[in-house]
Amino acid sequence: MMSGDAVERREIKSVADYQKLIADYYKSAKTAYKRDQKVAWITSGGPVELLHCFDIIPVYPENHGAMCGATRMAVELAEVAEGRGFSRDLCSYARADIGSAITKGGPIGGLPRPDMLVCCNNICGTVLKWYEELARFFDCPLFVMDTPFVRGEATPHAVGYVAAQMNEYISFLEQHTGMTFSEERFVEAATKSLQALTLWKEILACSEHKPAPMNCFDAFIHMAPIVTLRGTDEIITYYEGLLAEMRERVAEGISAVPEEKHRLLWDNIPIWYEMSDLFNLFASLSTCLVADTYTSAWTFDQIDISDPIRSFALAYTDIFLNVNLERMVDKAVSLAERYSADGMIMHSNRSCKPYSLGQYDNARAFTRRTGLPVLILEADHTDSRQYSQAQAEERIRAFIETL
Amino acid sequence: MPPSDVKEILQDWRDLWKEPYAALANRAESGERLLGYFCSYTPEEMLHAAGFTPVRIVGQQRNVDLADTHLQGYCCSLARTDLDMALAGDLAWLEGAVFVQTCDTMQRLSDIWRLNTGFAYHGDVVLPARLGDPLAERYLVEELRSFRTGLEKYAGAPVGDEALRESIRIYNRNRELLGRLYEMLAAGAGITGTEVLSCVMAGMWMRKEKHNELLEKLLAGLENQSAPVNGRLRLLISGSLCTTPEFTEMVEGMGALIADDDLCCGHRYIEGEAAEEGDPVVALARRLSERVICPAKHSPGVDRAAYLVDKAGRAGARGAIFFLQNFCDPHAFDFPWLRERLQQEGVAVLLLESQLQTPALGQMQTRVEAFLEMIRGA
Ligand code: SF4
Ligand code: SF4
Repeated sequence: MMSGDAVERREIKSVADYQKLIADYYKSAKTAYKRDQKVAWITSGGPVELLHCFDIIPVYPENHGAMCGATRMAVELAEVAEGRGFSRDLCSYARADIGSAITKGGPIGGLPRPDMLVCCNNICGTVLKWYEELARFFDCPLFVMDTPFVRGEATPHAVGYVAAQMNEYISFLEQHTGMTFSEERFVEAATKSLQALTLWKEILACSEHKPAPMNCFDAFIHMAPIVTLRGTDEIITYYEGLLAEMRERVAEGISAVPEEKHRLLWDNIPIWYEMSDLFNLFASLSTCLVADTYTSAWTFDQIDISDPIRSFALAYTDIFLNVNLERMVDKAVSLAERYSADGMIMHSNRSCKPYSLGQYDNARAFTRRTGLPVLILEADHTDSRQYSQAQAEERIRAFIETL
Repeated sequence: MPPSDVKEILQDWRDLWKEPYAALANRAESGERLLGYFCSYTPEEMLHAAGFTPVRIVGQQRNVDLADTHLQGYCCSLARTDLDMALAGDLAWLEGAVFVQTCDTMQRLSDIWRLNTGFAYHGDVVLPARLGDPLAERYLVEELRSFRTGLEKYAGAPVGDEALRESIRIYNRNRELLGRLYEMLAAGAGITGTEVLSCVMAGMWMRKEKHNELLEKLLAGLENQSAPVNGRLRLLISGSLCTTPEFTEMVEGMGALIADDDLCCGHRYIEGEAAEEGDPVVALARRLSERVICPAKHSPGVDRAAYLVDKAGRAGARGAIFFLQNFCDPHAFDFPWLRERLQQEGVAVLLLESQLQTPALGQMQTRVEAFLEMIRGA
């Protein structure tokens, strides 16, 4: 436990709905085989909308990795993978997930066995290797959607390549479900997905208000549905409820952190095993983490429903982690402006190279452009063996004192 | 060619492998235009046809200082030492560099390099992650065309199809000649793995015309000499690259023979051949697309384990050493699976990881010794 005094946490009422939504989702995924429904494992940035058109239940190993981290079960699982020969330096989501596939261990007794795998490399090259390993382990088909890295703007040939793969992906799903693709159902799922993305964006935007009604720690939890359930009806109802609650908080001046004095941005994936200790520490320092580059990655909403394949191809290619450093800085700068931030905390996450390599340059560019200070914390998103709590706390305290 | 010349060429190339950069500085001084690259998927023929000499930057054993303010310690030492050399001005003889997107590290290194070094030229090739299928190949053709346009703009002159075809012929010839050395190596005909690797490595820092000329002499000389390499324990090595000859020399110094390799700067570099007729850009894309993949890429048609098992079988290798860079994700991910498959086929496996900043050769020596003993005792 951190030495920060435990602070009264203003529970978001929608948490109960959230818990039910996620519990129902995992229950239905784990019993899919009883209903003859197929399960696909998919990466967090993968085009999930098409799975819904084929009644396939999407399951996200990364979300599972985060759960393993938050419940502090990741290390034990990672050690199983390490015992198999996977280097300790590989992404700890992958290690924990591979460990859980082997032992059926973890907070929910392992994920339901996949009938197929869908890997989109718009977030990293790690998923490519991780899914190859899963394909060998489960001996099931793998579809790789390759989204070329974007410098500046996506080139027409890159978008054309991804669009062609969308069609190939459709054939892959037809082949493995025996169903025929329905454009109508796709537009329906895409429309719902878009609605969810828009709602999520509006929820996050509530924290532009001073004081912020919600902080990153809440967003890290409430993002799970936007990752796993976009394209369904349930998520829309749930996010409508959350949005209404946040607007009510804004109207009544209820803040996420009592007596908010400082507003900071967060960069990179959360340190899952430290969520509640960090929340308490920041709250005790009257500091609210008002926005982050992570949860806002699921706010791409420039989708043109009249040309869904191509516009999805572009949206999935032109995604936060798949762009050059200058564009990452642009994003952080715009968050700082919109959310009136006083500085930024960057989690240098040894598990995630595409997110972390370049952060030192990004930090300097961010300060140059905004005049705001940056603190870089070295850690790992789920492997707590790589983290020194005492050191992190000392550095956070010192940083906040300078604000 | 007399044997003494064979010795001389091999010695020169071994020395070049040991210290390539000083010689390059001299050549740049006398007017040769050098462009750096880091990855064996680089369309070198294009650079060559545009009048440049592509030279591979393979890191260096050095204490990293300047790069530490740009790259975290959990980044591979190739990226860190390459960047450190550039920032320190030790690569000032380059006009610029080409970044081919292989892994996440290279993707980010390209931006960091562009933002912090002042080279006149910066090229990116966003290689597809999928290789070996028609969609990816079509994309790669377009990507190479746009790379060519950028290169032409910098060179101030078009890179014509005929010039490109001529470069393809020269590079094909180079791959063929080096391939013959590998055949001699597998046949145990008087050459060591370190020597063959020296030949491949040296070629990465020479004009290929010159390299071909000397390779022909070398091959003629070697064919005349009859000192077969017998009785050595045959090994295969796999990994990205060996920055200096010390590691393979150490292994072969213990009575082993590196009879074949799966290194990015070894046999993978010379895999495949580009068509010498038709659209040369398509020919280049097809070769890159069809050659055996690097672990950072995905091809449903290629089973790297089967490929290695087959290689080990043909080389008569009883053991395989994986010589990997610390923090190199693509290779580390493949390792458990490759080890399992090789072991199933009776090939012993040893994993060695290294960092250029702190090469632990002494430690490795003990481990290699134990490994060889284990195989001999088996
Ligand atoms: S490397 Fe990064 S983006 Fe990729 S799976 Fe791990 S945490 Fe996610
Ligand atoms: S492939 Fe491996 S060794 Fe090569 S640059 Fe990438 S991480 Fe480094």
